[in-house]
Amino acid sequence: MENKTEYKPFEVDQHLTAHGNYWAGKAGSRFFTSLRDKKKLLGSPCKACNKVFWPPRSVCTFCFGELKDMVEIGPLGTVETFTLVTYSEPIQPRTAPFIYAVIRLDGADTGMAHFLDEVEIGKVHIGMRVQPVFAKDRKGNILDIQYFKPL
Amino acid sequence: MKRNVAIIGGGQTYHAARRHDVDQAEMVNEAVRAALKDARMTIDEIDLVILGNMEFFEGVHLTDCWLVHGSGAYGKQGVKITTGGTVGATAVCAGAHHVASGLFDKVLCIGFEKQEEGDTGAILSGVANPLWGRSMAGAAVGYFAMMGSSYIANWGATEEHSAMVAVKARQNARKNKYAHLKLDITIEDALNSRMLAWPIRMLDMCPASNGACAMILADEKTAKARSKKPVWIRAMETAHNEQFELDWRDVKTERLIFSKAAAGRLYRKLGVDDPAKYFDVFEIYEPATWAELIWYEDLGLCGPGEGFRLIEQGKTNIDGPIPVNPSGGVLSTNCIGASAMLRVWEAALQIRGDAGEHQVPKDVRRAMTTAYGGTNWTVMTALSKTLED
Amino acid sequence: MATKDKEWISIPMTVDVPYRFAAGGYMTKCLTELRDNGKIFAVECPKCKRVQLPPRVVCAECHVKNEKWVELPHEGTLMNFTIMYLPLTDPTTGKPHEPPFVYGSVRLDGATSVLDHMVEVEPDMDKVWVGMRCRLVLRPKEERIGDLSDIRYIEPLPGQKKPQTKSR
Repeated sequence: MENKTEYKPFEVDQHLTAHGNYWAGKAGSRFFTSLRDKKKLLGSPCKACNKVFWPPRSVCTFCFGELKDMVEIGPLGTVETFTLVTYSEPIQPRTAPFIYAVIRLDGADTGMAHFLDEVEIGKVHIGMRVQPVFAKDRKGNILDIQYFKPL
Repeated sequence: MKRNVAIIGGGQTYHAARRHDVDQAEMVNEAVRAALKDARMTIDEIDLVILGNMEFFEGVHLTDCWLVHGSGAYGKQGVKITTGGTVGATAVCAGAHHVASGLFDKVLCIGFEKQEEGDTGAILSGVANPLWGRSMAGAAVGYFAMMGSSYIANWGATEEHSAMVAVKARQNARKNKYAHLKLDITIEDALNSRMLAWPIRMLDMCPASNGACAMILADEKTAKARSKKPVWIRAMETAHNEQFELDWRDVKTERLIFSKAAAGRLYRKLGVDDPAKYFDVFEIYEPATWAELIWYEDLGLCGPGEGFRLIEQGKTNIDGPIPVNPSGGVLSTNCIGASAMLRVWEAALQIRGDAGEHQVPKDVRRAMTTAYGGTNWTVMTALSKTLED
Repeated sequence: MATKDKEWISIPMTVDVPYRFAAGGYMTKCLTELRDNGKIFAVECPKCKRVQLPPRVVCAECHVKNEKWVELPHEGTLMNFTIMYLPLTDPTTGKPHEPPFVYGSVRLDGATSVLDHMVEVEPDMDKVWVGMRCRLVLRPKEERIGDLSDIRYIEPLPGQKKPQTKSR
């Protein structure tokens, strides 16, 4: 620049707030109403692939087949992998420390992450049998399962 | 192009303000299944899946990953496209390039948007320059309003002319079973609709829609073996604009802005002298009525300042000599990520003679489409019925 | 296809994202001069001579480096406008601009680029027109932060009347 004037570095702070509402659709709505109203967990079976998906979906990821039926799965399940979260971020639903575990419900072929409580981290192991603790005031979202705990 | 590319199938969902009955993957899946059925193909035959939508408009990042079961992309080669309002046409353009290159024979292109789920206004504010003007951003309505005021002041058009565009779009949409705003409206209805930002009234703007479109592109050999009515992609052209300049908001600008630059290059590629005669139908991206009038001029369908005469004389009606947007256009259906693909797909349907009630009543051998988005850029596509056309 | 007997579940969400933008050399000079001295600085392309605002390092058309700084006057011409009837939110503050208000693009004398801003006139078609001469009104120095909002609004130069146009 020709101009020799020194300028201090210029930075601007802004933030962006966006609101949304995600619609769960056919498979998702059936899953969440069943969880909320009956405390029953549903998965989507694909007969062609001999797989049961959790969370449920309307299309088989593997063979592209349409999945219209749903079957009850769980409520008991098995820890497939886990971690202890020791730092907090605004995006997390809880402040640290807490345990995240990927849990495969009985009758399902896929697992899903959820909280694992009422256990010390040293006692958690892959293959541990767990059960869900349902929230008393259920609203139709995944936190209607408050957390899982060891059997 | 290195290899000829054909559209061998396509499909769309119905478009609506509310789609609570499906999640995003389920909605995309409806369009993909329709396209596969139209092409008489299975998902196993597809080599590459290109998925497009606007980033975070429905509150989800990386939709190519999350919708993998709905799109059929699991385990396949794939890429995500996010380019503003042009998304759907960019996806087709990218798909056509992949086929033309010889690397892929059968490509599935998908465009979608579930506008009701996210905060389009907030995310769009991020399009404005953060340091220069974001605090003063006038939103899309403000932009098109300034375009309208420039058009009126410089060319002497009136609000009646934009109302004519509003009516044409919604009356055409009534013939299109998939369209969102099928409104039986008159010029008076348009002129009496709520003022949003002078001269833009409610009926001068597009709706916020949910919907998806999918298309299957193939190389010449596959197309001729598999399709009874392949539609050929003959040319594609894109152009970006310079920021902070008036472009479409100064109708008398003498600069070679994005729309004129892209059209000029596309016409030179094809040897087009008179686009109004060369092409049998146009599907253009008009988020607001005034944009349609400016497209007429920038595409060379008439001279500068004569766009409003075309609509006045009914020349761009479905049964006119230069039919523009027989589908009802973006003014009737705007599921952003799908909108620009719908232009190409609707043009292909016209060439195939499969548009149904909104089929233009003449032999359609060539069609042209435009897309528009971001801070002003375009993707244009020219289609033909045979490789000799 | 949506059936009434089924219940569709939805999950609300809010995302709040903080950003910190670095202005870089050209915008730093431009925004600092606006904030501290109330001056509008643009750059002129050595090739096409277009005077570009806000200033940027490269002329998009000629692909050459812009090196000549030009101070622009605060007067210009209104190139287009709208009377806004929607409450537009300032995304940087979350505060709405109360409608109706006039909003338009002004081309400062000597500039190629335009500046979009509020126009301080009654929202009346007889009081605002394309081609209207106007000037920038800045906030007092102590209120300026180095943003386009340091310009409070654009106001018409006094003593003008809307030119009569033939009615069609």
